[in-house]
Amino acid sequence: MIPIEYFLILGAILFAIGAYGVLTKSNAIVVLMCIELMLNAANINFVAFGAFNDDIIGQAFVVMTISVAAAEVAVGIAILLNAYKMRKTTDLDDAELTSMRW
Amino acid sequence: MFIEYTWLVPLIPMLCFLIIGLVGRKTPEKGGYIAIAGALLSFIIAALIAYEYLTGDAYPNPVTEQIAWFQIGDITLNLGYYVDGLTCMMMLFSSFISTLIFVYSIGYMGDQGPRKTRYYAEVSLFLTGMLGLIVSSNFLEMFIFWEVMGLCSYLLIGFWSFRHPEGDAASANAASAAKKAFLVTRLGDVCLMAGLFVLLGEFHSLHSLDYVTLFDPSSIAAADPEMLSLGMLLVFGGVIGKSAQFPLHDWLPDAMAGPTTVSSLIHAATMVKAGVYLTARAYPLFIQNADVMLFVGIIGGVTAFIAATMALNNMNIKKVLAYSTISQLGYMILALGAGGYLVALGMDMGGAEGSALVAAGVAGYTAGCFHMMNHAFFKALLFMCSGSVIHAVGTEDMREMGGLHKHMKITSITMLLGSLSIAGFPLFSGFWSKDLVLEIAMEAGSDGTVWFTVLWILAVITAFMTAFYMFRMWFMTFMGEEGHASQHCHGESPKTMTVPLMILSVFAVLSGFFIMFGLDAMVSFNVTDTAFIVGGGHSEGFYYFEELFTNPYTYLTIVLALLGIGIAYLMYVKKTVDPGRFNRNGESWLYKALSKRWWFPDMYNQISWKFGYGIAKGVNYVDRQVIDGTVNGLSGAVVGGGDAVSKMQTGHVQDYSSVILLGVAILSVAMVAIAMFFGGM
Repeated sequence: MIPIEYFLILGAILFAIGAYGVLTKSNAIVVLMCIELMLNAANINFVAFGAFNDDIIGQAFVVMTISVAAAEVAVGIAILLNAYKMRKTTDLDDAELTSMRW
Repeated sequence: MFIEYTWLVPLIPMLCFLIIGLVGRKTPEKGGYIAIAGALLSFIIAALIAYEYLTGDAYPNPVTEQIAWFQIGDITLNLGYYVDGLTCMMMLFSSFISTLIFVYSIGYMGDQGPRKTRYYAEVSLFLTGMLGLIVSSNFLEMFIFWEVMGLCSYLLIGFWSFRHPEGDAASANAASAAKKAFLVTRLGDVCLMAGLFVLLGEFHSLHSLDYVTLFDPSSIAAADPEMLSLGMLLVFGGVIGKSAQFPLHDWLPDAMAGPTTVSSLIHAATMVKAGVYLTARAYPLFIQNADVMLFVGIIGGVTAFIAATMALNNMNIKKVLAYSTISQLGYMILALGAGGYLVALGMDMGGAEGSALVAAGVAGYTAGCFHMMNHAFFKALLFMCSGSVIHAVGTEDMREMGGLHKHMKITSITMLLGSLSIAGFPLFSGFWSKDLVLEIAMEAGSDGTVWFTVLWILAVITAFMTAFYMFRMWFMTFMGEEGHASQHCHGESPKTMTVPLMILSVFAVLSGFFIMFGLDAMVSFNVTDTAFIVGGGHSEGFYYFEELFTNPYTYLTIVLALLGIGIAYLMYVKKTVDPGRFNRNGESWLYKALSKRWWFPDMYNQISWKFGYGIAKGVNYVDRQVIDGTVNGLSGAVVGGGDAVSKMQTGHVQDYSSVILLGVAILSVAMVAIAMFFGGM
């Protein structure tokens, strides 16, 4: 059986990659994708702990998370599309986009 | 029945002030008649009060009545009146002379147009100040009126501080003279206020500043003598400022920048008399310490001498009179100091010898007050005469006058009478009081300390100088060749000016005889075990006449006065003695020192620039740098901190999320560390 540490390390690496992307990338779509990576890193942990503890609740949470993430991506992409329509950019550092804050 | 209405005496001029201030412009003579009526009414009421008091049953005990004004803690401060012999004398001559001065103003200020309203309103307020000071029943009330006078003197000295008839330089001069008068007397007023605080602290068990309570021998005995002396020295500081005593005398000559009528008012009826009055009023407290009285006497004697020297070579007719006022005020203070010194010694000594000293000393009180009254008459007269001269020739410089006698006979003769009086010519009023002052100074010298002998010598020299400079002034103005201003003389002044002169000259000649008809009893000072009482003494009648004319020193002063007049005659009429020989035509050191007023103005300037300005700069520094610095620094820190912190709000989601991530990371590390530390993993 594959030891649980491998799953946890995979989750940690995925999370780190996602966090790095969220913090450094300026393209909004990439940032959204990185958020998905972080969510899925958490999902791997859920699944791994659920399997090792013989507990179904881990998988149940994962289903919940995936559905919430799907909704989030749907809303996020919709916002981004509209923003792009208005400002012709998806660059988070672009003044065109940041000026929408206030 | 009149004494109950004593409060009307200061109130009537106060009402005049308000009426003139509000509607004076619409009345004839711009309020002048209202001011005269008010002063005259005050005089009549004062005369009725004096008559009733002096013939009443209460005499010589003071009559006082007060209403509570306000309370601080358990100290009650009152408003009220206090009538005794001194009050009566002061009320009478102040209101009488003021009435005459106001009448004279109708002529003298006649050409001033709408500004007359301001003039009459301010002189009425001035009279309120003086009369209020005189009838006050406690030190605080007295102090309020004292300050009212300070304000009025400022306003009136600076009356021509704008649109001066002689141009802008004269306006600036008037403004700075007013400021100087105000600030220099202010120095004294601060001392006086400190003195009142000391008195209030010392008599705190009495909870009041009322004269009746404070002058009670039992309450004086309960007070700490050293603190009492300190308090009285501080109070005397106020007198030094107000009565222009050395070393704060220098404001008075500058105050000549005001109209001559104002000078007359300040010098004769009000203002500078207030200081002497306060000394006489607080006499029961002053005489508790002989050293305090010695100090008072020294200040008086030195002032009399120094001021007389400065009058010797002055060319301005009004300034000569101003110096003579300072000098005469010095005589009054000297008399009060010398008499009080003897009383204080006598009270310490006790027994028969002590009461003999006390009896000798109280004559000083009478002499001082008597000289104050006589001086009021002849100085008002002299100033109004000089005003009449200035009115006619349009200059104050005596070198441009001369030969005016034939142009203005009334002014000339009345001024001659005033000059004879102040010079101490026998039987004129100044003669009586001045020789009493000299006599008491000598007595204090022989029975007390040698200091008073020195002061007596100074005072005798002053008497000589007084005779000289007064007649120098009179000869330069009315005798000799006509100066170029005299040639444009308008002739004698109008009746409104000459009639007051004639009335006053009668008093200047005869007021000395009052002392033989009961005045000495009215302003005598009686020391008993149970009370200090002004008035009610035994009138000596013609004793003074006998006393003065059997005293060889009286003849000495008469001879010196005649000598002074003679020298002035030789120098300025016969021209056989050239004054230039004595001062090397204005080149000698002494002449320069006198022209520079013994460097007192320079000293004032130095002190105020080096010391006052230094302190002001220091205070300014503390205010701007330390106090403002703290406040500004605090607000600056808050604003700057806010600015710095607001930089963290970049508006970039990524920055916020990095902070969150960092926080989470720190939290997790901390949790692991805590778990390892406590959990023993």
